[in-house]
Amino acid sequence: MIDEGMQEQAAAYALGALNADEIGAFEVSLRVDPELRALVRELRAVTEALAGTVPALEPPAAVKARLLFEIDPRGGSGSKTSQDQPPGRPVSGPFGAAVSKPVAEPVSGPAGRPPQAWIPWAVAAAMAVLSVAFLWQSSSLRSQLAAQAGRINELTTSAELAHAESAELRLTVAKLRESNRLASFRIALLDSLLAAAPTAIAVSIWDNERQDGVFIVRNLKPLPSDKDYQLWIIDPKYPSPVDAGVFQVNAKGDVREDFRAKLPIQAANQFAVTIERKGGAEVPNTKAMVLAGS
Amino acid sequence: MMAHAGRTVAEQNQDAALIERIRGGERAAFVAFYDRYSPLLFSVAARVLGERKEAEDVLQEVMLVIWNKSGDYDPQLGTLSSWAVTVTRNKALDRLRARTRRLRLIEEAAVLAEDSDVTSYPSANEIVHGRERAELLRDAMKELPADQRMAIELAFFTGLTQSDIAARLQQPLGTIKARIRRGMLRLREQLGGAL
Repeated sequence: MIDEGMQEQAAAYALGALNADEIGAFEVSLRVDPELRALVRELRAVTEALAGTVPALEPPAAVKARLLFEIDPRGGSGSKTSQDQPPGRPVSGPFGAAVSKPVAEPVSGPAGRPPQAWIPWAVAAAMAVLSVAFLWQSSSLRSQLAAQAGRINELTTSAELAHAESAELRLTVAKLRESNRLASFRIALLDSLLAAAPTAIAVSIWDNERQDGVFIVRNLKPLPSDKDYQLWIIDPKYPSPVDAGVFQVNAKGDVREDFRAKLPIQAANQFAVTIERKGGAEVPNTKAMVLAGS
Repeated sequence: MMAHAGRTVAEQNQDAALIERIRGGERAAFVAFYDRYSPLLFSVAARVLGERKEAEDVLQEVMLVIWNKSGDYDPQLGTLSSWAVTVTRNKALDRLRARTRRLRLIEEAAVLAEDSDVTSYPSANEIVHGRERAELLRDAMKELPADQRMAIELAFFTGLTQSDIAARLQQPLGTIKARIRRGMLRLREQLGGAL
């Protein structure tokens, strides 16, 4: 029987909610207790079921292509053992050996024979050996060429996959837009442009379908009462940034605000925050821009 | 022992055979594993990280772990896929922690995303296990008391420890431990009985 304390640890272990010390202590118990191992096994299955409740996303085809190339660059149906051999390795060894040995042999030719007599034979022999060597090299180069051609084919395939992925991605987005409200969200991170407040940061979550969003800010300096921060959306449809409302932060520099744009937004490419007079401005004061990002 | 939540005995046997073939270096087995589980792992990584690009990198890392380090997998502690989910979640959290400045904001974004109607999108379970069983899993989650579900989801998706969760929810540590235990055991019963 597993007591409640151990059940608590098993549940937290399966979820990954124990700290390093607790994990170490728990795993000691785990090693010696088969009943505890069985419980962890079942709770991990629960964790997997929990993980599976997230919205389904299909990974792009390019991920699979990259993986398959990584585990077996030649793209064969082979095993791990076959991948140990690097592809297209130059075969230079035989060529070097074939050249050096025949060149050395004539030096130990028959003693006392006039040099003029053996030189033509030696040259002929060397030429013959070189011919063989060149044939060998040619064969080797052909192999390398074939390997390179294979690599080019693979790269071409990868490029085609990337192109297909792009098309697939568009299709996936279209499907998601039908089935998943979140798919139309644009989540942008805005970094500080202020040297004096480098930790200021914000996130803008814009729902293009509903034409509204949520803006979360941290560590932005509170303003005097006669000024406001103003959020802007940069949409290429318009010549200047679109007003998305004003806000103030609390004493800690934080705020979370719902916002809407003053004009219909087609593509919220970027977001920016400026300091403006109380109530906001028609156009942003770019010299007082404090946050920006996409 | 109960049938594992979310999978039949036949599926468990298939997965056991798959890991043996992957350990033997069989590329086709690896491809079969990828085709079956990559949507689940990718979805989990994307949920933790809040973006797709890094989730792709995590999926690739995890798949290489499956291929190169399948010896690390201990079948006594769970199925191959539950191990892969744990590895995915941990690798995604490692990346998230590296972006410490973003962490809290992304969490808030994730919480906002959670506010949407949970029945409006197909879940990763639906892709892996089919619609009927995915609905059983989803219903089991929905029937969980909100405080237990929140503690469990915070632990899994944000990587907070029990102590972190207690501090964040301003509850005693013992309360959080009890919520997680009760919630997990309740899910085990519901899912085990349903499948």
